[in-house]
Amino acid sequence: MSATLTKTARALGTDAAEAAAAVGQGTPPPVTAKPATAALASVADAFKGAASRAGSWLWKATGILGFLALWEFGPLHLAPPSTRVFLPPLHEVLQAWGRLFESGSIQGHLAASLSRSVLGFGIAVAAGVSLGLLIAWYGRLNSVLNPLLELFRNTAALALLPVFTLLLGIGEESKVTIVAYAAFFPVLLNTIAGVKTVDPLLIRAAKSLGLNSFRLFQKVILPSAVPTIFTGIRMAGTASILVLIAAEMVGAKAGLGYLIINAQSSFLIPDMYAGILTVSLLGLGVNFLLVALERHFSRWRTAVGA
Amino acid sequence: MTAKISLRNVSKQFTVRPGKGTAATTLTAIDSLNLDVRDGEFLTLVGPSGSGKTTLLDLLAGLSTPTSGEVLVDGQPVTGPGKDRAVVFQQYALFPWRTASANVSIGLEGKGADGRKLSRRERAAKASEYLKLVGLAGFEDRFPHELSGGMKQRVAIARSLAYEPDVLLMDEPFAALDAQTREQLQEELLRIWRATGKTIVFITHGIDEAVYLGQRVAVLSARPGRLKAIVEVEIPDRDGDEDIRSTPAFVEQRHKVWTLLHDEVRLAQDAGHRKILPDGSAPDEPATQETRERSAA
Repeated sequence: MSATLTKTARALGTDAAEAAAAVGQGTPPPVTAKPATAALASVADAFKGAASRAGSWLWKATGILGFLALWEFGPLHLAPPSTRVFLPPLHEVLQAWGRLFESGSIQGHLAASLSRSVLGFGIAVAAGVSLGLLIAWYGRLNSVLNPLLELFRNTAALALLPVFTLLLGIGEESKVTIVAYAAFFPVLLNTIAGVKTVDPLLIRAAKSLGLNSFRLFQKVILPSAVPTIFTGIRMAGTASILVLIAAEMVGAKAGLGYLIINAQSSFLIPDMYAGILTVSLLGLGVNFLLVALERHFSRWRTAVGA
Repeated sequence: MTAKISLRNVSKQFTVRPGKGTAATTLTAIDSLNLDVRDGEFLTLVGPSGSGKTTLLDLLAGLSTPTSGEVLVDGQPVTGPGKDRAVVFQQYALFPWRTASANVSIGLEGKGADGRKLSRRERAAKASEYLKLVGLAGFEDRFPHELSGGMKQRVAIARSLAYEPDVLLMDEPFAALDAQTREQLQEELLRIWRATGKTIVFITHGIDEAVYLGQRVAVLSARPGRLKAIVEVEIPDRDGDEDIRSTPAFVEQRHKVWTLLHDEVRLAQDAGHRKILPDGSAPDEPATQETRERSAA
């Protein structure tokens, strides 16, 4: 019985594999292989789909467009002329942004900020995940480190900026360090939480399957914790940009935070808003990227129809 | 027939965590239990809540060790989980990040009994072989959240069978399913048992289920769990197409088990015994003064 089963299963398996290979080799996409009418229908469908998607996109953008319109026309028509100096309409800000872009200075500031936050964020993720796994796995380490970590976590990162500046100078090191510090805790705490909230039933099941401690960790605990870890990583991404801008405002010669504060003190108000706009876009971009990453790794957790 | 599994004077005690002002107490879940399971037998195990059914299964699986006595499989004492035994849990316990196929093949990922590691392709082939056996051919790439409760339990059964254990330990596997699915899976389980010749120890709280599935029904007493009686289920023409649940023989056997169990269930209810969790705590147990204060805080 079992032998015949194996045989049929193998035959099925190879068939499926061959079919998959055939699909993989067929370089022209399957749509073109269809008869012309069907292709036309599918093109029409795709167009309809795109139109309805564009409609919903437009609807979603209403809030943003309204805000931008207020920004453009508010200072021109609603506010007294004196306010207009401090709140320039959108087109002046965009012109300033264009000028900064042409001179290449916005790219320079963006690059400086990005390299700092990526470096700090990377350090935080590496340290947070590895230490988090260690702490969650060794209960005793947790009880020793937990009060200390609580203390550090509840100390606002920016409060420590003077300390970092004193110890590491006003160069890159202090800024990268403070970014790493701020991003470290969300990663660490979510890693610990992720490992600790593994369903005990799954651990029992894995043990009954004869998995040893290492395999249990590798095959059950880690994959089960990944979505929670990525939630921490996303929070860390937001935190790292937040803290970096503030740090750059205090003492730096480049970076978006420096651009904003320097423009303000030089009374280049449109430049200041151009800097702020860039920070918003950067934040949005980073969040979008991390959310996509998080979603990718928690696909299995989303229920049908959710 | 030889005894596949032997329980010799097995007792299991748990230390209940001390509450405020109370010392740690011990809770005896199983008390000097003796039981032999024959090779290739389908034994069902019934007992009131808190009679140590799951505790017993954990001992057989090697997930915990007895406080005293011996658990023998093939004459060898059980020292831990092993590839000769597989467990099917009530709540399926599938790994949600793995597809059905990957769930089934997880037990094959280490080295096999012959010290050889199966390739990815061999594992997948084996997984689809067993998914086919449980009636899920074509569902290889589905994730658990895409499957119904009955299908999940089928995957779990396939996972347990895939690494070819001799003994299947099942802990109320169909309790969470609707009546129709349950009946369907009971039939399929019998079919699989006949086809594979595994020894099955099946825990249930359903008397019907116990009598329908088991060649013998072991009845446990209220806590501390002891073996109260073993009922040999004798139903003529079991393999026929007839609805055996309505035959006089079935009704008679069912009544026998019911009578045995009835007193114990009442005893357990009066004492307020509830399910003991794997860590030895019984959170639903009627609270003493201290624990009540604690839970109120």
